[in-house]
Amino acid sequence: MPDQPLQPFAPPTDLLAYLPDGVSPGAMVEWFLYVVFAFWALYTIVAIYHWLKYSHASWAAFPSIALHLFISFALMAYALSGTLFI
Amino acid sequence: MKEFELEPGEHVVMETRKHWFLFLLELLPFAVIAIIPFVLPKILPLAPQLAPYAELFDYGTPIMRAVLGAWLLIAWTSAWGAFTKYFLDVWVLTTQRLVDIEQRGYFSREVSSVLLSRVQDVTTDVVGVIPSLLGFGNINVQSAGATEKFHMNGIPRPEQMRDLIVKYIPEEDAKPLGV
Repeated sequence: MPDQPLQPFAPPTDLLAYLPDGVSPGAMVEWFLYVVFAFWALYTIVAIYHWLKYSHASWAAFPSIALHLFISFALMAYALSGTLFI
Repeated sequence: MKEFELEPGEHVVMETRKHWFLFLLELLPFAVIAIIPFVLPKILPLAPQLAPYAELFDYGTPIMRAVLGAWLLIAWTSAWGAFTKYFLDVWVLTTQRLVDIEQRGYFSREVSSVLLSRVQDVTTDVVGVIPSLLGFGNINVQSAGATEKFHMNGIPRPEQMRDLIVKYIPEEDAKPLGV
């Protein structure tokens, strides 16, 4: 049995303070974005391959791909908007 | 068609997918994921111990903009993937057969068909309030064979599809059941 009274749960207020030495938040975010964009590129290529191969030349294929690329690039631009011009 | 070749004189009568309402239900988790970053800053202050975390969700900072953008990008891409799967999952009725093209996932696709001349029984069922109001349900096609059955779940206007299937069953095979 512990002889010390239980301490109330106190969540950390500064999560960035837990980063290892030498790793800046900016570098971490940069690598995080690399991973996300790589995942996105791979996923998009696979999905477009399926659209072009199996949609039977449907009218929906190219609008769907175009919409996906447009929204994705808009979100990427938003994600980079804070970091590109630091 | 890449999955199957149409025979001479065969043509596609109808191509259908799951009802749009079922697709919207599939999108629901992605919508919830997408709004989490906007809801959390409003919910966290309700719990005093978690209130300090609400300040982290300041989307004016470069880091949080990057995180939010990436989060929404993942949610959007996943939702678009669900639409891709929905669109490529299709039933095709031709003048000679019924084809079920099931897109289980990427690089996982199953194409099965039943000749209309082998169809013995077609039943539809619409169960529940929402399916009844929106007009979608299931079709079960029993073909000649011990256990061969063809299921089409969540199909819009199942009665219309059933009538079309019955219409295209060859006359000489359309014998009354139980005779």
